[in-house]
Amino acid sequence: MSNLKVNIAGVEFKNPIITASGTFGFGKEYGEFYPLSALGGICTKGLTLKKREGNPPPRVAETYGGMLNSVGLQNPGIDHYLAEDDKRLAKEGVVVIANIAGSTLDDYIAMGERINESSADMVELNISCPNVKQGGMAFGVLPKNVEEVTRAVKNVCKKPVITKLSPNVSCIADNARAAEEGGADAVSLINTLSGMAVNYKTRRPVLANNNGGLSGPCVKPVALKMVWDCYNAVKIPIIGLGGITTYTDVLEFMICGARAVQVGTANFTDPTAAYDIAKDLEKYVSENDVDINDLVGTLILN
Amino acid sequence: MKDRIATVLKNVPVSDGIWYMTLAFDDLDGIKGAQFLDIKLPDRSRVLRRPFCICDFDAEKKTADACYAVVGGGTEVLTGVKAGDKLNVLLPLGNGYAPEGKKIMLIGGGMGVAVLPAIATANPDKEIHAFIGFANKGKVVLEKELGKKCASVTVATDDGSYGKKGFVTTVAREAYDEMRPDEIFVCGPEVMYKAVKKCFDGVKTPIYVSLEQRMGCGIGACLVCNCKVRRADGEGYVRVCKDGPVFLLDEVVL
Repeated sequence: MSNLKVNIAGVEFKNPIITASGTFGFGKEYGEFYPLSALGGICTKGLTLKKREGNPPPRVAETYGGMLNSVGLQNPGIDHYLAEDDKRLAKEGVVVIANIAGSTLDDYIAMGERINESSADMVELNISCPNVKQGGMAFGVLPKNVEEVTRAVKNVCKKPVITKLSPNVSCIADNARAAEEGGADAVSLINTLSGMAVNYKTRRPVLANNNGGLSGPCVKPVALKMVWDCYNAVKIPIIGLGGITTYTDVLEFMICGARAVQVGTANFTDPTAAYDIAKDLEKYVSENDVDINDLVGTLILN
Repeated sequence: MKDRIATVLKNVPVSDGIWYMTLAFDDLDGIKGAQFLDIKLPDRSRVLRRPFCICDFDAEKKTADACYAVVGGGTEVLTGVKAGDKLNVLLPLGNGYAPEGKKIMLIGGGMGVAVLPAIATANPDKEIHAFIGFANKGKVVLEKELGKKCASVTVATDDGSYGKKGFVTTVAREAYDEMRPDEIFVCGPEVMYKAVKKCFDGVKTPIYVSLEQRMGCGIGACLVCNCKVRRADGEGYVRVCKDGPVFLLDEVVL
């Protein structure tokens, strides 16, 4: 019987489509295009204890089949989120995943506690942002740090925790294992790939921050391989992301082992991208009479 | 606001490296001056839309125009679009500019001139004086279009090959004392805003500017197109696409 529902760490999603952190704000702007309840879930912009201004502009550079960003975790801070966005999002009829970040281990612990005050259904631990000098990716590189920060947040956070993994590491499967060891309820991958765009006329990087994170269709093959590697390394569910633009991309990620997926850069190309993908996926499962869960990890190697 | 399918009525070069596109929509409502549209390129290797100011519009015919300079691969792709083609377009985006005063001075520099006709179209009851500046005669655009809608149009070229010789900011400043406009609106490169700040120093008339920044989503979610402003609660970043693109010159940190 056809089915689109997926379950991750006890949380039910009406379909496996989640919007990726940083591409969707707090849902308000996209809510003008379609009801957010059409999605499985939404991931909030990365939240920190205090308001963050982020990096100077330009913060975006288009590249072949993708883009670099260097926003640098600009966000209004957890207090503002709880006062302005939390209650509104709770009424949207969609799973809300609060993405949290910090500069120090204590920041992550404090955020893990503060997020208990929210009505978010889950927490995504951002330890893989390539755009902030301190913290961020520093926690996401070495397996022992991934394990430590995951465990520290798990100790204080009452909500299921997803650890978001960076692809800018020597072996992402080791980091997935470390997250699992630290008690993560799930892992999501991949965050952006570290990259640079250069203007040959000025001999300068296009981004004011020099470096940025690469996303979009060009990273999809890297992401698929990493999802498959992690699927073979851990038992906890995997949320796959990286360049998903169509429902067939979703099917590919699920076949490689993802239980759900996130749509990011595609939201910029089309504000209705996540909605369209969810509708197309619904059509696919109904026409082919499949339970989407039956596809997970069914990759047949040559 | 929603994404719409537009039919291209016209897409032609109008001067040196500058093209003019007219798009027809099934419905088109409430466009203010200085808003923008965001075009999805017919090239799947490019993930970002291209934002352009709404150069002009016709509420009855349900058309909106973009006047764009060919500056890179994306705009080059756009020049290949033919009349009859369909494009996915978001509009109208941004806060726009709705003048409160009666007598308005518009100053445009280079491609910044492209935003001025729509302001005149949206405000037929205002007395509008346009000052437009270009590097040289070959770059002059939209003089005739503005002439039909404005009380006066003054052209300046940096090299004096057409109209008055000199920077348009200087030419506008010279006319200011006699003209006494209620408001001033400026659109052009950042260097022009610095020049306006300098030569209109001490002038009490409110000066509005339209900012430009590389954009991502175009609707306020992704925070890549930020600019810095100074307000009562201190300095901070605001979104050019959603909080702008029009700001008071006084609050913009240049």
